[in-house]
Order: sequence, then C-alpha cells, then structure tokens
Amino acid sequence: MADSFALGDRPVYVGSHVTRSQDDALLTGAGTYVGDLRRDGMAEIAVVRSTVAHGRITAIRTDAAAAVDGVIEVITAADLTDVSPYPNFASAYTQTPDTFPLARHKVRYVGSPVAVVLAEDRYIAEDAAELVEVDYEELPAVTSLEEALEPDSPRLFEHWPNNRLLDLQPDDSEVAAILADNRVFRRRYKMGRHTAMPMEARAALAERRDGRLHLWCTNQHAHIARTTLSYVLPVAERDIRVVIPHVGGGFGLKQHLYPEDVLVSWLALRHGRAVRFVEDRAEHMIAAAHARDHMMDIEAAITDDGRILAMRVQVVQDLGSAEIFPGAWCPALTTAAHMTGPYDIRDCVVATAAVTTNKTPGGSYRGFGVPEAVFAVERFIDELAAEVGVDRIDLRRSMLLQTSDLPYTTASGALLDSGSFAESLEKVVDLGEQAYRRAEAEHGTDPDSRVGVGYAVLFEGVSPTHHGASAHWAGHESCSIEVQPDGSVRVTSGVTDQGQGTTTFVATMTADALGVPIETVHVELADSDATPYGLGAFGSRQAVVGGGALLMAASEVRTKIKSIAAHMLEAPEEDLVIEAGRVHVAGSPTPAATIAEIATTAVIRTIDLPPGVDPGLEATARYEPELMEHVPDARGRINPCASYANAAHAAVIRVDMGTGEIEILDYLLAHDCGRVINPPIVDGQIWGGIAQGLGGTLYEDLCFNDLGQPQTAFMDYLVPSAMEMPDLVIEHFESPSPNTPLGIKGVGEGGTVGPAAAIGNALAHALAEFDPQIRETPLSPAVVRAMIPD
Amino acid sequence: MSAANARRVEPSVEVPISVTVNGETVETTVAARQLLADFLREELRLTGTHVGCEQGICGACTINLDGEPVRSCIMLAAQVDGSSIITVEGLSAQGLGPLQQAFKDNHGLQCGFCTPGFLMTLSTVDPDEYPGTAGIREAISGNLCRCTGYGGIIRAVRTAWDRPDHG
Repeated sequence: MADSFALGDRPVYVGSHVTRSQDDALLTGAGTYVGDLRRDGMAEIAVVRSTVAHGRITAIRTDAAAAVDGVIEVITAADLTDVSPYPNFASAYTQTPDTFPLARHKVRYVGSPVAVVLAEDRYIAEDAAELVEVDYEELPAVTSLEEALEPDSPRLFEHWPNNRLLDLQPDDSEVAAILADNRVFRRRYKMGRHTAMPMEARAALAERRDGRLHLWCTNQHAHIARTTLSYVLPVAERDIRVVIPHVGGGFGLKQHLYPEDVLVSWLALRHGRAVRFVEDRAEHMIAAAHARDHMMDIEAAITDDGRILAMRVQVVQDLGSAEIFPGAWCPALTTAAHMTGPYDIRDCVVATAAVTTNKTPGGSYRGFGVPEAVFAVERFIDELAAEVGVDRIDLRRSMLLQTSDLPYTTASGALLDSGSFAESLEKVVDLGEQAYRRAEAEHGTDPDSRVGVGYAVLFEGVSPTHHGASAHWAGHESCSIEVQPDGSVRVTSGVTDQGQGTTTFVATMTADALGVPIETVHVELADSDATPYGLGAFGSRQAVVGGGALLMAASEVRTKIKSIAAHMLEAPEEDLVIEAGRVHVAGSPTPAATIAEIATTAVIRTIDLPPGVDPGLEATARYEPELMEHVPDARGRINPCASYANAAHAAVIRVDMGTGEIEILDYLLAHDCGRVINPPIVDGQIWGGIAQGLGGTLYEDLCFNDLGQPQTAFMDYLVPSAMEMPDLVIEHFESPSPNTPLGIKGVGEGGTVGPAAAIGNALAHALAEFDPQIRETPLSPAVVRAMIPD
Repeated sequence: MSAANARRVEPSVEVPISVTVNGETVETTVAARQLLADFLREELRLTGTHVGCEQGICGACTINLDGEPVRSCIMLAAQVDGSSIITVEGLSAQGLGPLQQAFKDNHGLQCGFCTPGFLMTLSTVDPDEYPGTAGIREAISGNLCRCTGYGGIIRAVRTAWDRPDHG
C-alpha cells in the first residue's frame, strides 16, 4: 500500500484500548437519540397500517379521525401527489416493486403504511389512527418462498411474469458435465426469518428551517439518505440536511430510508412545523426490515473420499413484499458469493433468485447473506463427511486454502489476499476437542444428556461495494481534517456511528496519523451539512474505507506540518518527527515547534510561511479501494469487497434429552480481521455478533400463518439475555491485507456469521445416534426434541 | 359493575401528583393515561430513560421507584403520586459514579440505548444476593442488550462489585 496510508511517526493509540468519548454522555442519560429531540410546536404522527397481508384497497375513510380534537391532518397516498416512487437502479436485472411511502391501491403485507395521522401528540395521533377505516378486497396471500416459486402462485405485482424480483440463472453446463461424471451429494438448507432488533426502534424528526428541510433520523447514511429524499420529494438536494444523532444500534436495519422518514419530511414541509415519528416495538416487528429467510440447494460432485470437485447451488431468498429502499435482494447475491467457503473448489455455479411474498419487506441485517452460506456449506461438509465415512476435520483439511495458496480467487471471483483459514481451524479444533473431553467427562454418563462439538470455518467479505446497500455503484469514503490555529483538530467524515465505535476509531487514527494528543481531536460525523459526502455504515467497511480516506487526508496535513516546521526549525523535513503535538528533529526533543504554532502560521500568520507553501492546514480525501468491483464480468464473477476477514468457530453443547434444549458449554472462536485498532472494541463487536448469531440459531424466528398474519410478538422473539449468552474464548490472528490501509479488515459482522453452522454441527455430533436432519434454523427446543425418539 | 364505573377515570382527565424525582419534588398534574416513561421524558425532559419496547420486556426504561427497579413504560404517571424516583440522570451527583465508570472502562456499552436500564437495575440490587458471575447474569437478566453480547457488561459489574473473574 502507498505511503499515504501510513500512520504517523510515533503511533501510540492504534492497537490500544482508547475509551470512547461519547460514553460519559451515554452513561449519564445525556445522550441525544432522535426520540429525545423536541421542538417548539412539534407535532407527531401515528401510522395506520394494513391489517391484511394481500388486498386491494377499496375505500379509506378518514373523516372521523380528522375530526378528533388535536388532529391536524390525516393523509393517504392520494395526498402525496408531488411524491415520486423510490427509484430502482438495478432495473437491468431486477423487477421493480411499487415502492411508495403509502400503499397505493394495494397492500402487500400486514404493517404496510396506508394512512398517517398528524396530531398534536402521539397519544392523540394513536387515538385517531384507530378511527381510520380501510376496506380491503382480500387476495390470496403468498407466505413462503416455496409458494412464491410455484408457477401458478398469486402474484404480488400483477405486471410481473412471476414473483421473482431477481432471477439469475447462469450457464451451468461446465459444472453439469462434472456432476454427470462423478458421484453426487445433494442437500437443502434453510435459515429462518430474523430481524436486527436494535434496542432503539426507528425514529425521525423533520423540520422546515430557513426554507430547507432538516431531518434528524436513525438512518446509517446521512448523505445517501439526503440523496434518496431528493429522489422522492420535490426538494433539491442542496435544500436537505440530514443529521444522525446518537443511534441505538443499526445492524443494517437502519440502512433503509423508510416510508416514515419521507412522511415526516413531507408533512413538516407542508405544515411548517416540526413533525416527529417514534416507532413503537409492535410496529417495529412488522414494519422494520426483516432478514435471512433463505434456502440453499447444494449439489456437489465428490470424490470417494468426500472432496468436492464442483458445486451447483440454487439460492432463494424470501424478500417479503420487497417494498423497501434500497431493495434487499443483495443478501442472496452475497450468499452466492460465499458458497465455496474458504475451500479450494474451482468450479462452483450459483443460480440466485429473490422472490416476493406477503410478508414484511426483507432488508439488511448484520451478516448480510453470509450466515446463510456458512450454515449451508459447513453443514454440507459435515453431512458429506458422514456420508462417505471420513473425519469431518480431515475433510476440511483436504480442501482448505493454505497460506501458500494466497492470493486466491474463489470461483465467484472474490480475491482472498490474506488470511489464516487453516491456522484458525487448527486452533479451534485444538481448543474444541479439549472442551469436548471436559464435557464428556462431566456429562458423558448422564442418560438425560448428550454432548457434542461442532466446527465452522469461514471467510467473510468486508468493505463491499455500496451496490448491495444503496444500489449505487460506488464504494468510497471521505474524510476532512482541519487543524485550527490553536492546534486543535476537527475531523469530519462520511462514516457514521450506531454504537460500534466509529467515532473512536476516527479520533484514534487521526491522533496517531497527525502525532497529536487524542484529546485535541474533535470528531464530527453524520451531519450532511457539516461532513463530506460519504456512504456511511454497512458491510463492516468503515475502518477500512473511512480509515483509508482519513490516512490520506492526514498524510497531506502531515506533509504540510513538516514543511512549515522545517522552515521554523531550520532543519531538513526528512529529519523531523511529529509526536505528542510537537515537531522536532528525531532524537532531539528540543527545539520543537508545536502544532499550534505551525497551525497559527498556516492560518493567521501566513507572513511566516515558507516560500511556495499555501495557507491553511487542512485536507480532504476520498478513498475507494482499487480492487473492489461493482459489476460482475461476463461469467458472473466479481470481487465485490475490499477485503475478506476469516474465522473459525467451535461450539461444545449439551442437549437435554427431555426438553430438547441446547446448552452451550463452550464457545470458542479464532478470528482474523487483520490489524486491530482497538482490542476491546473488536472483542465487543465479536461478542455482540455471536449473540445475534446464537439468537437466530436457537431462539429467534419471525413466523407468519397461512393468511400472512405475523405470529411473532416482541415477547416471542427471543433476543438472548445474559442468561443464554455463554462466555466466549476468542483467539486473535492478525493477517493484514496487503491491499487495505494498514492491513485493516472489517470486524462488524464476523461474529454473526458462524454460530448457526457451529451449533448445527455440534447438534449433529451430539445426536449422531439418531441420524438427525439438521438443515434448518432455528434449532429451538421443540425442533431438537422432535429429533430424539421417545 | 356500578362501583367500577364510579371509579372510572376518563383517560384525558388530569390527575394531580406529587413525586420526588432525583431529589427534587415535582407537583404537577398529568393526564390519567400518561405513561410514566412519557412523563419523565416529555414533561420533565429526563430523556435518559429510554423506551425500547413499551411492553415491559426489554428493560431499557427501568427506573428506581422507592428502591425497586420498575419498568416505567408499563406504569402510569398517576400511579407514582407520593413516591420517590431516581432516573439515570440522578445516579451520580457529578460525573460518573463507580458503576458508570466501570461500564466505560470495560466497554460495557456500545450504542448506549439499553445502558440506563442496566444501570438503574443494578443500582437497586444488593450484590450479596447475586453471587458469582452467575449471579451477575441473573441480576441483569431482565434487561436486553443487542450490541454487547453482555461480555463487557458482565466485566463492568465484576469490576464495580470487586468480584474475581470466576466464582
């Protein structure tokens, strides 16, 4: 990597535990989440949502609601005459759903926004919302991906030929020939329907101020949100400001610009008053993005000892109604891109379909297609090993990529430039076997228990093209660094912070890159008026791509600091070092010029600048990883990410034979995200990711009945508590990428992607005597109990 | 039936209350149907009490009501007449108290939305009744966190309660 990505002369913060600057506010109740904001004269909305899964709207009666004291207005889609549908930038290869802030003519899921009550407060708005009457001509509901694939299935969008929003069927003749000539092993896997469930639901507050629209919202991208609003509302982008204050967790769910964001904006502009929406949890269950709900069919040509020669895969994702922006078919493509796992499988062809059903629209969620792939591939390998009678670890060893194989381009086009696939597996096998022996010793003689150990080894694309998040073909990030005359530093960037520690890494890297005390660095993010255009939070990208932009900007500032200091100190630039806010000749701390003196010279004593040096001490940079691709080649191959992290997971479990409950005795992980910036923050991401992965594996499931009625309330959607979450053992490997700034890879999603596979394999091991079919999640006690003969 | 009807209060009726919040007496009237969480957040502007589910499940809105941890999202403001409430804003007179500092030092929070609920629950708990790490897990089992996987929170409580890693 170029020098412009180097840290400064004497880095002291990167790699250490820098505590987070926002924690003092968050710990004393002084955080400012969107729901905490109030404005004088503020009104609030309540949304009238569809009660049927699929139907034509034949009448909406709003008079009674409008007559309630304190109601300002009740609107339906018919009122939004100057609002445009959300665009579809992927229309070259997808069907276009009718995505509009309020349902037009038809509803396609329970929870779909049909009308909005604007009132003096939320209590009144909810009272009135109950008085809005909507008549529906109900239509048959499509409630599963299998149904959606049926040729005679009811269609959500009548003008489409079928329910397939995405349907990529690549030429599979080469793989078909290999399958025809070899022994073939087939399995089908499914992953249940999950949602991110951030503890803060969605919220938005819009205001017209100085003739412009100001929107405070929980979105993960200030600038993309602004651009999207400009597509939908009749407002120029220059007249929109989007601010994202403290956010109570995003996890991908807050990547979408939801109808309510548009509706409060439209109403604020129309009425000239601030308008707030604070989603309640009951709404969140049906109106915020769902995720997963994938099916993976794998056919593999195998040798007699189980090695995979070639794979043909069909991935199908259940999108729900797909009425969401940006559209959310990209997890299916991500699943497809991870179907070889970190194995040397040269021939793999994946057909990918994303289908519409009468359920809440699917969207982004941490892991974004990778947990599905890892579950399918790693369960497949365990089942394959059992089928041919070889050891499951040995089978992995025979196919796993070795360090000497790198760089390696997978069959789908991903460029694995570094990693520790074999090492991480060996580490967790070592730890896992020890833990398993302990479990055997403790529970082996208990007739009411079975113990098992399961493994998963994986790679995970990080820092992807934004196509999957916004349908834009871009992958850059921005950073602007400005040193003030007093030597304090203001950093702004397009990255955003939902709690993952973004603000802290920006401060940490800036301080090291400039050689200044971290206390002098002020970070400002997520205000589209105050920060350079960036793409924000998705795909575990911010430290990689935002970090790259930051280092580029810092490098420019550092160069200027040294040229001014060289003049002041009458010393050659190349002899100077910057540390702790002072510039001096290496090895001799005095004389020194302080950053404040240098910045003062650059900004308000330009009379002292050396000849040829321009005034000012600031730089703005953008970084787009060179190797990241946005469009597949003619064979469908693409390297969609700047980098690829890897991990191996091991789970040791005890199954209660009476109840089917899985108790996790040990959870062991070897993780490699390249260079680590802040160890506790990296561990925190892994812990949180594992908790979400375990939740989806064991407890969480969004169910619908045959009518498309949601059956899962918040109380039934079992987010793991401290009682369910095991202690983790985390081993770190650091294989820096040669192709990213500082060798950093992303860590935001790594923990989430492995648990389903590791737990599934552990369960298969524990219950091997019963030959259980473990091909779906969740693995709830009822499901597990049914695998055990009475 | 008639007795019940006689006691019925219209939801919009204003009810007088006197309540001590973070040491200060508040005498006011509230709508009979106003949730305690909304009263604290919207009327008193103590927005550190967060509403995560409005169903009494997630624990984010937990406050200290006369020494007990209480979900302020499923209680009416009218019910706290005569009570004493502590919210996260009242947890420490100045800066961070020891528990808050332990959360910061141990990366016991990420997004911070659930954090006030954890702090308030823990502030009402007698550590001796929750021995060992298992006790800590039990003490916080009524509060959901989606970010941390509880690892940092458990470490923070161990630190605050001066408790070794295993036990």
